[in-house]
Amino acid sequence: MKLHVDPERCQGHTLCAMIAPDVFTLDDVDGHSSAVDGAVPADQEAKAAEAIRSCPEQAISIIQ
Amino acid sequence: MSTEPVTDDDTERKKNRYHFDRHTPEYRQRFTDVTAEMLDKCPVAWSDTYEGHWVAAGHSEVFELARSAEYLSNDHDPANERRGYKGISIPTPDVGFRGGFLEMDPPEQRHYRQLLNPYLSPAAVARWTPLVDEVIRASLNEKIETGRIDFVDDLANIAPAVLTLAMLGVPLKSWDIYCEPVHASVYTPPNSPDIARIQQSRMAMREDMSGQLARITANPRPGMISALAGAEINGTTPPEFELLGVIALIIGGGFDTTTALTSHALEWLSQHPGERAKLSAERGTLLDSATEEFLRFYTPAPGDGRTVTADCEIAGQQFKEGERVWLSWAMSNRDPEVFPDPNEVDLARTGNRHHSFGLGIHRCIGSNVARMVFKRMLIAVLDRMPDYVCDPAAAEHYQTIGIIQGMKHLPATFTPGPRIGDGLAETITRMQVVCDDQRLAEPVTVRKGAAEIK
Repeated sequence: MKLHVDPERCQGHTLCAMIAPDVFTLDDVDGHSSAVDGAVPADQEAKAAEAIRSCPEQAISIIQ
Repeated sequence: MSTEPVTDDDTERKKNRYHFDRHTPEYRQRFTDVTAEMLDKCPVAWSDTYEGHWVAAGHSEVFELARSAEYLSNDHDPANERRGYKGISIPTPDVGFRGGFLEMDPPEQRHYRQLLNPYLSPAAVARWTPLVDEVIRASLNEKIETGRIDFVDDLANIAPAVLTLAMLGVPLKSWDIYCEPVHASVYTPPNSPDIARIQQSRMAMREDMSGQLARITANPRPGMISALAGAEINGTTPPEFELLGVIALIIGGGFDTTTALTSHALEWLSQHPGERAKLSAERGTLLDSATEEFLRFYTPAPGDGRTVTADCEIAGQQFKEGERVWLSWAMSNRDPEVFPDPNEVDLARTGNRHHSFGLGIHRCIGSNVARMVFKRMLIAVLDRMPDYVCDPAAAEHYQTIGIIQGMKHLPATFTPGPRIGDGLAETITRMQVVCDDQRLAEPVTVRKGAAEIK
């Protein structure tokens, strides 16, 4: 599972990083999110899925 | 030009009608029923109230509308220099100025947000946690030995106000000049006998704000006011009234909303002591989800108005240029399509895509501040007053929830405990020194470390 956060959609709600802190990083300056490079570790997939479901802007997609 | 005959399609376009008046006490009392009815029958409806406006209640409809900034304007243009749009309040309040960047459109709005983001991002806000903990500890000290507290007056009004002023660069001890007028101007109806006094305290606040802006412009000190005073927006320095509108937005957004969330959550936890004990024991896993659930359920800022900028169709509804739209975050937060058992509080709720901070480019810029201060206040109460009981007869909610869903008073009793450290006045004096010496109010791009409290 690889993830992409659409920078045009993300508005920095921060729920993804709250739910899956090992999968998403928030920018120091504006709090917008980006996903880890590469595959999400298997033990983080459930949290990542919950983050996708919880994003208020629906900005996170599975790219692979 | 179109050669098609012009027809009045309003009957068809406005076939979903609902008499919606969120400024009445009845709306507050019947909120659950009104919401269920609108979600079921007319997730977007035309209301004849306030010169007529649309009301969006459905979650997916609000989602689509709020993210359609190309068709929905936040602009407030009281001088009619552009299109005369009326900003985010319905009805338009009788003031001649804009409510900061929440009543602006891009690119102007984006300039202000980019200026303020480094003061309000998660990393920026986390630096303030030790200072907030001190203010909360000291606030509770004032009441801990008595066994009685008003959670609004004695805690939830104080910490958000002190922190907001600290981040602006205003002396912390001024918090009480700002506190009452900010809350009271939200909950006092225009026909109240108290209104003259409230207006006076608002004038005093505005005078202090204007003085702070002038002083900081002359002698810069760290904080958001300094950033605003030196701002170039679209190539020019904004006039004083525009900057005061921005400062008032930060103060208005920073004070009453967090107070409202905290008091409602504390009231609910008093009514559900089993859930309270569980939240306290399992805070490591429950605090985040509980916070989002209180945000969803109590939606402190229940909605925002917009103006349609061009004839368009969004979420299956046709709109015409100039029409006003109310986006109800509060009602969309109860949509059963997205939230199972929407009228129940579930502290472990998952998939909580609530709209309490708004959506799209106007997402509440203070959301990270609100969450942090709320969580620290909640935890401090759970630790020091774990058996508190609110007095339902003395709890006082705002009569209407048209602007903020808040509380005026929430008295409670608890088993008295010991003071820890100094009281509030001494703590605020000490925290001022910490702010000044450590330049805490610098943006995160300048100063990364957390406050150090000795």
